[in-house]
Amino acid sequence: MAEKGGGGFLPGGKSALKSSAGKDDNSARSKKGKKVQFDAEGGWGKGGKGDKVANGSKKSTGKATPPGDRKLEQELPQNTTCMMDCEAAEILQGIQDNMITLSQDPDIKIPVSLKKFGVSDAEICLIANIHPESVDEVFALIPALTAKMDKLRDPLRIALGELAKLKEALSELANIKVSR
Amino acid sequence: MFFHIVLERNMQLHPRHFGRDLRDKIVSKLMKDVEGTCSGRHGFIVAITGIESVGKGLIRDGTGFVTFPVKYQCVVFRPFKGEVVEAVVTMVNKMGFFAEAGPVQIFVSNHLIPDDMEFQSGDMPNYTTSDGSVKIQKDSEVRLKIIGTRVDATEIFCIGTIKDDFLGVISDPGATS
Repeated sequence: MAEKGGGGFLPGGKSALKSSAGKDDNSARSKKGKKVQFDAEGGWGKGGKGDKVANGSKKSTGKATPPGDRKLEQELPQNTTCMMDCEAAEILQGIQDNMITLSQDPDIKIPVSLKKFGVSDAEICLIANIHPESVDEVFALIPALTAKMDKLRDPLRIALGELAKLKEALSELANIKVSR
Repeated sequence: MFFHIVLERNMQLHPRHFGRDLRDKIVSKLMKDVEGTCSGRHGFIVAITGIESVGKGLIRDGTGFVTFPVKYQCVVFRPFKGEVVEAVVTMVNKMGFFAEAGPVQIFVSNHLIPDDMEFQSGDMPNYTTSDGSVKIQKDSEVRLKIIGTRVDATEIFCIGTIKDDFLGVISDPGATS
């Protein structure tokens, strides 16, 4: 098991995140297709117990904790929480999932939110809940939007396209799960 | 529509629960008392997602009960006038049909059902078009628009319509998808 970072801390910065994300790299790479650029983040204060070389061999006879083990707690820095590998993986996976929105990569484009066109949150939720198949359906079911019909036609069409793709993907996933 | 909201409640706790697990007992009592209930103002409280804070307990005079003010986050469901929802039909009669969308019951009167649909009584009462192409019976899925809500202290009841464009049956219970 490669020793990452050495010592107690996961050092802050690009290199640490890239290397510790290396565990989940294969799955992440195949999901995103490319590395995502981001600015270095500092403040990774959590002591990484998981990344130390595991000293598995127990030398104690079982009576009292030998002096070597007791000192481990004293060596750890104050005000830190130990984390298991699996806990760290979960947190880092969540960050990697978010990185796609935070990235500066120009190829990854997020469609403009309907909010910018004055559609309220409730109306956005309503549109998502009813899975409309056409833009006319949206205007028929939510009469309040007809006031901005001209401006909203195109963004709505894009949004509905994305929704339809998502719905298809989700139903395919459900089918795969059922068939297994 | 579902909402995520912070609510506050005063929880009363009997002294027999005091001890090491006091906070856990407060939280589990909160979940038991609140999940699944309906308040007219906020809607149906579906599930508690987190506890924001538990205040200091105040001992009530006369009894040994202690009241803790608890702030918690939860998912609520509240129907609104003008909302379009998908619901499952639960009962059909000649006055109209009842449908359920989550925890809320919606009634669609026969005046708000398209004129070309007629009530057919029998074993499985249903509304059918004259050519038999569309049928609304128990367990059908319909898309309806809520045109009115009646809210009292512990119950929300809605009236809906399927007479507008893009409303009506989504799927038949017997149809293969």
